[in-house]
Amino acid sequence: MIQQHTITTTQKYNFPHPTTDTMLPQRLIQLSLHTLKTVQNNTIQLNQQTIQQPNTETHTIQLNPKPITLKPNRTQTTIAAVDTSNIKIGETPTGIIAAVRGAAVWKQNKHYHYTRLGPFLFHITEENKRQLYQTLANAYLNTNNTIHAYPLNLTQMPNRIANLLEKWLQTTLTKTLTNSLILLDGSLTAGTPDTPTQLMKETLDNARKRNNTVLAFSKMTNLRANGYLITDALPPHTPPYMLETYGLKPKPPTVLLGEVYVAKLTNGNYAFRLDIDKEIAYEQKIEAVQKLLGNDHLQQSYPETLRLAHILCTFTANEVIAMQHFTTRHYNLKIVNRPDMHRLLFGPYGKGDLNA
Amino acid sequence: MKLYKKEGNILQILSFPNETAEKGDYLLVEDADAGKALIAQVIDMQFASIPGVLEELLRSLPDGGELIQGEDFDPLEIAPHITYIQDASLLVCKIRATIEGETLTPSSSWLPSRSQSTIKKLPIPTLLKLAKVDGKLPILMGSTKDASPLTIDASSLDGRLNIITGKKETGKSHLSKLLMLNLIGYGATVVVFDLNGEYHSLGMTSDGKRNTYYDKIHVLTPAQNFKVALKQLNLQVLLGILIHALHLPGTSAREFRRIWQSLKERDMLTLHELGEAIRNWHCNQHVRDALFSRYHALVNSGFFTDETGGTTLLEECLFKAKEHGGAIIINLRNTSTIDRQIVVEYVLGKLVELLTSWKLKAAFLFAEEAHLYLRETYWDDIVTRMRHFGIFTTFITNQPDTIRENIYRQADNIFLFNFTNEHDLEVVSRAARVDAETVKSIARDLPPHYCLTLGKVVKDFPMVVKVKTLDVKTMGETRLFFKNAD
Repeated sequence: MIQQHTITTTQKYNFPHPTTDTMLPQRLIQLSLHTLKTVQNNTIQLNQQTIQQPNTETHTIQLNPKPITLKPNRTQTTIAAVDTSNIKIGETPTGIIAAVRGAAVWKQNKHYHYTRLGPFLFHITEENKRQLYQTLANAYLNTNNTIHAYPLNLTQMPNRIANLLEKWLQTTLTKTLTNSLILLDGSLTAGTPDTPTQLMKETLDNARKRNNTVLAFSKMTNLRANGYLITDALPPHTPPYMLETYGLKPKPPTVLLGEVYVAKLTNGNYAFRLDIDKEIAYEQKIEAVQKLLGNDHLQQSYPETLRLAHILCTFTANEVIAMQHFTTRHYNLKIVNRPDMHRLLFGPYGKGDLNA
Repeated sequence: MKLYKKEGNILQILSFPNETAEKGDYLLVEDADAGKALIAQVIDMQFASIPGVLEELLRSLPDGGELIQGEDFDPLEIAPHITYIQDASLLVCKIRATIEGETLTPSSSWLPSRSQSTIKKLPIPTLLKLAKVDGKLPILMGSTKDASPLTIDASSLDGRLNIITGKKETGKSHLSKLLMLNLIGYGATVVVFDLNGEYHSLGMTSDGKRNTYYDKIHVLTPAQNFKVALKQLNLQVLLGILIHALHLPGTSAREFRRIWQSLKERDMLTLHELGEAIRNWHCNQHVRDALFSRYHALVNSGFFTDETGGTTLLEECLFKAKEHGGAIIINLRNTSTIDRQIVVEYVLGKLVELLTSWKLKAAFLFAEEAHLYLRETYWDDIVTRMRHFGIFTTFITNQPDTIRENIYRQADNIFLFNFTNEHDLEVVSRAARVDAETVKSIARDLPPHYCLTLGKVVKDFPMVVKVKTLDVKTMGETRLFFKNAD
């Protein structure tokens, strides 16, 4: 999954400082430090497990076989993208220690710039998870009661926190940029616990007010047309082009705030689901994609700005080691190595880290 | 530092940025529970194989290769920890010994605890003390990397075969002068084959004044102050010259022996009479021609004379040196190859003669670029047969491949300066007293005037030393065309 987190804006990059929106990073730091205090002089198990929550629900839609042919528009346009990531760096007897980081990347005058926030480390336990999420959600989502309506799974908490950071980054970009393209990872579907409809609407409204266009790229999609994934069975046209889709009706309370296209922007077997803000005119949608083609480097149909945002926020292995080093040093944690039952029982035939 | 791996006598040690260690440094891997410690020397340094580093480096480069600019808001200050991990290095170390109590053994057969062992740098003075690299005849070679002095014992050069090698202008001759002066300071007799005429002013300080060695340096220049009267020559010495330097065949040598004895019986051992005797000798024409050609070579060298009064005898110098120590510098500068070989054969023959008859106790021979004046097969003789007579050789060369492998194998001490050429390093690494990895890894990175000292002088603990300067007129500078250009 791609998540993005905006950085504290600096005048250097022409990003204004909306005072209301700077609350979240501050909250993140406070909560990070607060939660870490609860972990001192404890033990930590470093084995990592991937946190994934695949969405297997599929939808059937229709594809307009007539492509919308695209021509790169080289009018100078700022392209910005955000992404966030999270990773579990260890387990304690009472919970998990997780890290969250976000990155905003923008291309201006042919140069890429980035701002990265984090990593923020959290000690998340069954006891503090709800309060932690509630505090962050209140600071940003302003939805005091929403949180109670959804169960909070401990293992999904890093994902949730990263999501909040991502939403905050997205909003910050829409409020600070003008006449730009804002690239998001994922879709423009709202109404989920992490993406309240009202919030997404406001984000898109803010973007439109400043003549920004929001484009959301999904690396994975479950949408199918005639039984095939919409990104697989494409008509033989020369890229770049887009195909319109019809008939996608999400189940309430989720709503779709964008028009869904299939975008094949370069040669090769790569196509993506592309959501474009529904409320803007058709010509503006097409123009936005053409400006993206004319201003960003696209490889395998994917914008470089978005790729960089993803790369910059993800954690490398040595960063994980460094964070483990940090937590053990600062909070006097003792590393323990609990036996891996899979390896104990099944040896090399069990799943798990073969290099361990 | 943490112990990471042990394979054979190679240790791999993880070192962090705040722990400084360099090639050549010694480490003490101490296992308190076992009551033992390993002494290991760093022979190479590598980046530690840290997962994700490549990804980390690559992600700062967008398509097109231009560096992406940006800012990091790192509230918990994790970045220094990342740098700390990324900059960790792996020290590849060679185990040199095990220390148990006060005893050093060249063993690496035990395994220290990986989790409990403590690793620290072993100061060179401590190591020298442990290894007992000292003695009653100290020679201060210079300073080690931690600025402590390295002193070897002159007696560790006694009876030994030494090789000083390295590429041009790294300080080989300088070290040989240092060793030589210290040896004569302790009363040793030293003979130097000075190929480039750079030893003859060692009795003077750099500003031209006489130094303490002034009376101990005897410079003999062939055909000038170093001539030999035939009457003073031993037949064996002359035959050595004819056979080894001038390649006289055996049959002709036998005839020469007869001619010589005939002249000697008549007390007519002069150059003129020798020529006449060869001319009139009843023998095969080919033999006569062979003898004549060698005779002319002897005459043309200017090294032989009939006037005994005007010659400076090598023996006199050697006997003088024997009393108080001294160096006989055979100045071979401006001497042709064949004359050089004649002179060298004479000196070696004379030395063997004096040593055999116990007129001399022993002599240290310093041979610069010996391949230029000694037959290849003759080297073995020098390091084996002549060793028993009491000639202890130090070879100095910048062409290590000119020294035969069996000589490297017999070398007791090797003073190795910088080599970058793989072939040269490969040759030197065949020496028996050192492992190839150490030679190849450390010698490649030695700065000028730094020497990797190997062998008995350092009790087989290879030491990197910056050779100290000498206040003598070295005369070894290369003549330059653009010397005053700047």
